[in-house]
Amino acid sequence: MTASLPELDLEAREALAELLLSVADDEFVIGFWDSEWTGIAPMLEEDVATSSIAQDEIGHAKALYELLAELTDDDPDRIAYGRDAPAFRHAALINHARGDWAFSVARRYLYETADRTRLAALAESSHEPLALLAGKMRREETYHLLHADAWRRRLAEAPGGTRSRFADALRRLWPDAQEVFAPLPREEILVREGMLPQSMDELHGAWQAEVRPVLEPLTGPLPEATPSAGGRERRTADFAWLHGEFTKVAGAEVGALW
Amino acid sequence: MSERVWEVFRQEDEGDPMVHAGNVNAADEELAMHYAREFYGRRGESHRLWIVARDAITELDDPDLLKPPFDRSHKKPGGYIIKHKLEAAKARAVAEASE
Repeated sequence: MTASLPELDLEAREALAELLLSVADDEFVIGFWDSEWTGIAPMLEEDVATSSIAQDEIGHAKALYELLAELTDDDPDRIAYGRDAPAFRHAALINHARGDWAFSVARRYLYETADRTRLAALAESSHEPLALLAGKMRREETYHLLHADAWRRRLAEAPGGTRSRFADALRRLWPDAQEVFAPLPREEILVREGMLPQSMDELHGAWQAEVRPVLEPLTGPLPEATPSAGGRERRTADFAWLHGEFTKVAGAEVGALW
Repeated sequence: MSERVWEVFRQEDEGDPMVHAGNVNAADEELAMHYAREFYGRRGESHRLWIVARDAITELDDPDLLKPPFDRSHKKPGGYIIKHKLEAAKARAVAEASE
């Protein structure tokens, strides 16, 4: 069954808007964090690759903000650049500054695996525009995950300090990584209507079953960790700084046309 | 990680020749593939890439083998004028098709 826009009641629309905003903000903010590597990545080729992937993520965010704007009769640019920092709904995983290369790779690996699990579900969404967009995003995210995984294996197998630094980053980010699957407001409506075919709790279980066996040989046993209700509402000083950076130009002359 | 140079060839569309695009530095084949994709394919401009380690390429640049000092003009096909034969063949094909 396809739930097209006019058939959605107000409550369902609001629930869908929260879902779209959560995915869009994840992609938007991680894209900006990773763009902080432009010019200073470990080597020129990696600089181009990381910057290009960061740009892809912002491209995905743009498409999602456009869907959201259509749903809420808003302007995608306003949603992206016109909100205050506390209004963002990205997962706590994406609150941290980029850190060193090991930290950025650890975050990207955790995020890309979680994003793949989530996109696989969204590609089956009863909300057709979202299912189509998720299908398109999956094709590009396949490459992103390959790239993140190539770096994960290299850092995990690297001698001495590199390996332990990478393991430390994974352990530090592990609790916040769960929050990609933080329960959404009115999630029960999304699941009931098939807009989110599996609950965040189910998706979280599938993701953990996949990444634990990959990470634990390196990190040792990772603690029991579950998503929390406020996992998409905590904001940090790191993020406040980044928000100031990415809204600076748009804020310089509000309403300017480019 | 020690870096190697990888030469990249690209094909614009199926059936087109593979053309040398440039090269990338990468520690291994897997990263070379990612970097080649970013440098020569991220704008959708390539149908296919070939990525070859430069040290796997056999190079021949010996002038004694490639530019021998004697006149080679008899090895070039320039002496055969086929323009008129081609025109006649085309005319024949058109005539046959309209029969």
